[in-house]
Amino acid sequence: MKSSRLLIAALAHAGLALLLCVSPPLGVAAGTVEPRMTSLYADPAQPDISGLWLVTGWFQFSPDKALPQLKPPYDALYAKRMKAFSAGKPIDDVTANCLPPGMPHIMVVPYPFELVQTPGRVLMLFEYAGQVRRIYLDGRRPSADDDPTYYGFSTGHWNGAMLEVDTSLIRADTQVDFTGLPHSDALVITERFRRIDHDTLQDVITLTDPKAYVRPFTVTRRYRLHPTWTIGEYVCEENNRNQSRSNGVTGFGVPPPEDP
Amino acid sequence: MSRMRGGLASAILTLALAAPALAHHSFAMFDRTKQVPLAGTVLEFQWTNPHVWIQVAIPDGRGGYQEWGVECTSVNMLKRQGWHHDSLKRGDRVKLMLYPLRDGSHGGQLARVVEVNGAQSDLPGYH
Repeated sequence: MKSSRLLIAALAHAGLALLLCVSPPLGVAAGTVEPRMTSLYADPAQPDISGLWLVTGWFQFSPDKALPQLKPPYDALYAKRMKAFSAGKPIDDVTANCLPPGMPHIMVVPYPFELVQTPGRVLMLFEYAGQVRRIYLDGRRPSADDDPTYYGFSTGHWNGAMLEVDTSLIRADTQVDFTGLPHSDALVITERFRRIDHDTLQDVITLTDPKAYVRPFTVTRRYRLHPTWTIGEYVCEENNRNQSRSNGVTGFGVPPPEDP
Repeated sequence: MSRMRGGLASAILTLALAAPALAHHSFAMFDRTKQVPLAGTVLEFQWTNPHVWIQVAIPDGRGGYQEWGVECTSVNMLKRQGWHHDSLKRGDRVKLMLYPLRDGSHGGQLARVVEVNGAQSDLPGYH
């Protein structure tokens, strides 16, 4: 009895190992792409959330719920940006000039990313302008000497099947999304990544910013697995026709009907 | 051919169910509540990032033309929907549907390609 249980456990283990390590069966029709997921997943100590993911739904940060209540002067800044946005003349959009969207904006851009797991860290390799997020799982912490950056400093740990990530040291001049939602240099982001089914990765994102927001707010975003896709090159500076005009309005590569 | 069409159909379905494949910048400049037809001749097909562009000559009725700029998504996202670097070329006669610029400038965001040189086209644009 005991030995048969052991045998079943061994077979299950072998099956799991096969699932994780072996390429898909041969005999796939010529010209089609064979999915290869396992090369992204090199740390058996972590639950597998690796793969090529694309955000689902709209690409505003919080498309289906109220945005946070802002404190001065961030409320006036956002009102100004929203007025311009609603008029079809978005302002202050750093991405129009090929600067990085930063965190958390990158998590809702409508291009895929490759999530790679390796001992001590999780890497997110974004198609969008070749941007990278590094999430350290090796215990390191930001030092007093670290400067704020577009993507901040991310540390994480596993809580069961959930990857919990904290990000701080984020530059204050990025926008939370394309509507221009601002934040301060005090922004701290917590994320809870979990694979809710084989094809769906969920990220519960909480923004805490005591300087800019009256209270923290949380958005749940989901990403769909695209195992047959390959990340392509994307050089934003190649032919960017959306450079901001002198008044800060995003350009379009054709002259406006009259000078704004 | 059928495999290609099946692949394209599934790619379109995937995209339709996934994110609206939009821009690297704010989309607020486009009026996405309406699509307008645009018929003309391709002046240039810019197969580039961050956006693919179709420059189209629209007859002005006085023997000349107006040049319109039509913004598409990125090279990678278009390829996933069945586009290629030579899907359009200078001189092609095209009928397109656009989400027009809200300020009335001569441009917009591609909604879809309707016709190329008299043949029906199923090349998608933004959803």
